[in-house]
Amino acid sequence: MDQRMIAGYAPAAPTARMGNHGPTIARVAMQSGNDLFARTGSMIAYEGFIQYESNPAAFGQAIAGRLSGESVPLMKCFGDGLLYLADYGANVVCLPLDNDNLSVNATNVLAFDAHLEWGVQRVRGIAKFAGQGLFNIGISGTGWVAVTSRGMPVVVDCGQAGETFVDPDALVAWSTGLEVSGKRSFKASSLLGRGSGEAYQLAFSGQGFVVVQPSEDSTERLGQ
Amino acid sequence: MVAHFKRGQKARLSDLTLGTDLYVGVQISGPGLVFDISCFGLDAAEQLSDDRYFIFYNQPKSPEESLQQLGAQAGDTESFRITLDRVPESIHRLTFTATIDGDGTMAQVAPGCLRIVAGGDEVVRYAFDGSEFSTERAVMLGDFYRKDGWRFAAVGQGFDGGLAALLTHFGGEVEDDEPPATAPPAAPAGQPPAFAVPGAAGAGAQAPPAPGQGGGFSPPPFGGPPGSPPQAQPVGAGTPAAFGGPPGGVAGQPPAAPPFGGQPGAAPQVPGQPVPPGGGFPVPPGPQHAGAGGPAAFVGQPGAGIGQPPPAPPAPPFGGHPGQPGGGFPAPPGAAQPPPPASPFGGYAPPPGAGAGGYVAPPGAGAPAGQFAPAGGAAPGALTGVLDAFRGVSDGRRWSQQNPQLIRVDLTHGGGQPVLARQGSMVMYHGDVDFGYKSQGLMGRMTRWATGEGMPSLMRCTGNGQVYLAEEAVRLHPVELQGDAIVVASQHVLAFDESLEPEVRRIDGHGIPGGSLFALQFQGHGTVVITTHGEPLVLPVTPMTFADANAIVAWSAGAQVLVANQVRLRRHAYPGHSGETTQLQFRGAPGNFAIVQPYEI
Repeated sequence: MDQRMIAGYAPAAPTARMGNHGPTIARVAMQSGNDLFARTGSMIAYEGFIQYESNPAAFGQAIAGRLSGESVPLMKCFGDGLLYLADYGANVVCLPLDNDNLSVNATNVLAFDAHLEWGVQRVRGIAKFAGQGLFNIGISGTGWVAVTSRGMPVVVDCGQAGETFVDPDALVAWSTGLEVSGKRSFKASSLLGRGSGEAYQLAFSGQGFVVVQPSEDSTERLGQ
Repeated sequence: MVAHFKRGQKARLSDLTLGTDLYVGVQISGPGLVFDISCFGLDAAEQLSDDRYFIFYNQPKSPEESLQQLGAQAGDTESFRITLDRVPESIHRLTFTATIDGDGTMAQVAPGCLRIVAGGDEVVRYAFDGSEFSTERAVMLGDFYRKDGWRFAAVGQGFDGGLAALLTHFGGEVEDDEPPATAPPAAPAGQPPAFAVPGAAGAGAQAPPAPGQGGGFSPPPFGGPPGSPPQAQPVGAGTPAAFGGPPGGVAGQPPAAPPFGGQPGAAPQVPGQPVPPGGGFPVPPGPQHAGAGGPAAFVGQPGAGIGQPPPAPPAPPFGGHPGQPGGGFPAPPGAAQPPPPASPFGGYAPPPGAGAGGYVAPPGAGAPAGQFAPAGGAAPGALTGVLDAFRGVSDGRRWSQQNPQLIRVDLTHGGGQPVLARQGSMVMYHGDVDFGYKSQGLMGRMTRWATGEGMPSLMRCTGNGQVYLAEEAVRLHPVELQGDAIVVASQHVLAFDESLEPEVRRIDGHGIPGGSLFALQFQGHGTVVITTHGEPLVLPVTPMTFADANAIVAWSAGAQVLVANQVRLRRHAYPGHSGETTQLQFRGAPGNFAIVQPYEI
C-alpha cells in the first residue's frame, strides 16, 4: 500500500496541551488531574484512557438555571491520553489564555480546561432581538480554550476610533474588556420586508479584539 | 489571450498586458518534493545588492511592498503580487526561482507552470516539466527585466546548487555567502542542531525537513543564521543600531543583512554566544504578519513548558541571552513548514511522518504534571500570538481579502463610491456605514425577472467605513475589471462596485434547473467579488468546452454560451442514467475562459 497518504496525516507528537491537527481537528493532551470540558458529541477519536461524564448535575444546573430553555451541552473529559475533537468540519482555533478574559458564543465553544473560570453570560441588548437568543460563555484564567469557526476566522482590533459592528450570527468571540451594546439598524423599510437584511448588530467599543467567522451560519450541529 | 511561452522566449510586457499590477503564480510539484519559491530583485549587474529584495517565505514583501509573496492559492504552489511601477529604479530584474527543500532533483518535477495574471486574466503561461532538467536542485523559472520598459523572459534554467548556491550566484562576491557558511561553527557551541542547518554550505540549505530539525530550518531558516551574524555584528562593525531599528520587514531577512552588508569576519564571533534562534525573527514579517507571528508564538509555548523563556514575538531579546542552550526553538513538527502568508494555519503541516501512524505517547503522560499545566500552557502574550495569525490585512486598498472566505471593502477609498452586496452578507463593519435596500432601476428589473433563486436581493453600502463581507464560508474571489467584461452566474455574485453597471443575461434552455440561468455581465472599471464553493477551475474556451449548468460560476464576456442537450433515448430506458443531460457549451476566440466550481448547486 502506498503509505504516503497515511504518513502524511499521521498525528504529530503534541507539543502543548492543545493543538491543531489540520485546520478542523483539535488535539488535546489529557492528563489526570487536568480535566477538560468539551461539547457533547465533539469527540471524534481518542487514544489512551479517557472517560467522559455527560452533563453532570453540578454544572448542568449552573447553566440551565441561568437561562430558561438554553443550555450548553458540555461533557467532562478526564484521564490520560490524546483526545481529538471536531465540530462538523468547522475550523478550530486553540487559544492559550494567560489571565485573559474571553467571551465565546456558546455555539462556538468546542472545549476548554476545566480549571478555568467560566459562566454563561447573556449578551445584553441583543438577546431579545435575535431569534436564537444569543448567549455566551465567559471564560477567564490561564489555560486553553478551543473555539470553532465556520470558515477561517478573522480577528479585528477594536482599538480604532469608533465602534465596530458585528452581525451576531457571525460573531465567534471577543475579549471581555470591550463594551458591548445592541444596535437595531432597521428602518421603516425593513418592516416592509425590504430591509438590507442587516437588522441587528452588536456594537463593540474599547480596547480589545473581536473574532468573526466568514459565515452567518450559527446553527448548532453537535447533538444537544 | 494567454500567451504560451516556451523556454527562452522573451517578450515586451506591454505587448502582453497594459497592467502593471501583476499576479505571478508558480505551480510546481513532485512526488515527495517540497519547494521554496523565491523572487530575487537584482540590480543592473544582476546582483542582489539589496537583500531586502530577496522575497522568500521569511521575507514575504519588499520595503515598499511592490513585491509581495502571497502564498499558495488558486492552485498555485506559490504566488506573488508584483506592482511593477512601484519597483524602485535600482531593481532591474526580478528572477523567480524554485528550489527543492530536501532531497530530490528537478528531473522528478511534475508538469508545472509559471503564469502571469493581470486584472484577473491570465496573460502568460510558461509550462515546464521534469524532462527539461536532470540533477539540478534549483531552477530559475522566469525573469522580469528592464529593457526599454519591463520585459518578461521564460528562463527555465536549472541550477545545480540549492537556495544557498543561488544566493551565492546572485550575491556574486564570495564573502557574501561566507557569514552563513561560517555560521555552522556556532552550532557546536551549544546551539540547536537545527539552527546550523540553513548555514551549511551549499546544499545545506535544503536540509530535509526531518521532524527533528525541520522546524529549525523552515520558519527561522534565514531568520536563524541571521541570528548569529547580527549578534556578532555589533562587535565587528559597531553598528548595533542597524539591527535595533529594523521594523517588521527587516527582521525576517537579517540573514542576508550581514552577508550582503559585506562584513566578513563577523561570524567567528558567534560561537561564544549562541543566540536563541527565536531572536532571529522577533517581529513577524509579512503582510499578514499573522503568518509568521502566529506559529512563532505558538511554537514558543512548548518551550515554556519545558522550562525555557518562550521567545514570544513581543520580546525580541537581541543583544542579550548569550547562552540559551536548550535548543531555543522546540519547533514542533507542526511548524516545520514555512508559514505561508496566505494560510493563517501556516503553523500546521501534515506531520512529516512523525511516528508514521504509531501512537505517539503524549509527552505529558509521563512527564511531570507541570508540563501541560495551566501555567505552562500559556506564555504571556501567547494568545495575541495565536490571534495574530488570524488578523486581517489592511493594505490600504479598496478591496482587500482578509482570508479566502472573507473580504473587506474600504468605502473611504475609491471616491466614496457605494458598493452593492448581497443582502445579509455583511458580517462586520467599522465606521459610519449605511445599509440600504437597493430598489430602483436595473436592479429592480432584475429582481422582478428573477423571482426566487435568480438574482439575490442586494443592499447598498454607503458611507465612510470598512465593511467585511462573507457568505457561508464559501471562497471569495475579487476580480478587478479594467475595462473588460465578465459574466457571472447571479448566485455567485457577492458584491460589486456600483460603477460596474451589471446587465442581465438570461440563458434559457430545456433542462436547466429552474428553467433558465441568470447571469450578470459586469463591464467597466471596478471590482466584482465572485463566490465559489471550493477551489474553482478556470477552463480556457476551446472549440469543445462544456460545463455543467449547475457548476458554472462565470465566464468571459467574449464567450458565447449555448445550451447543449444530449437527448438520449437510453435516458428513459433505465433509471441509472448519468444524470448529465444538459450542459452549457462555450465557444469563443482563444483567450476566453469559463470558471466552474467543484460543487453542483
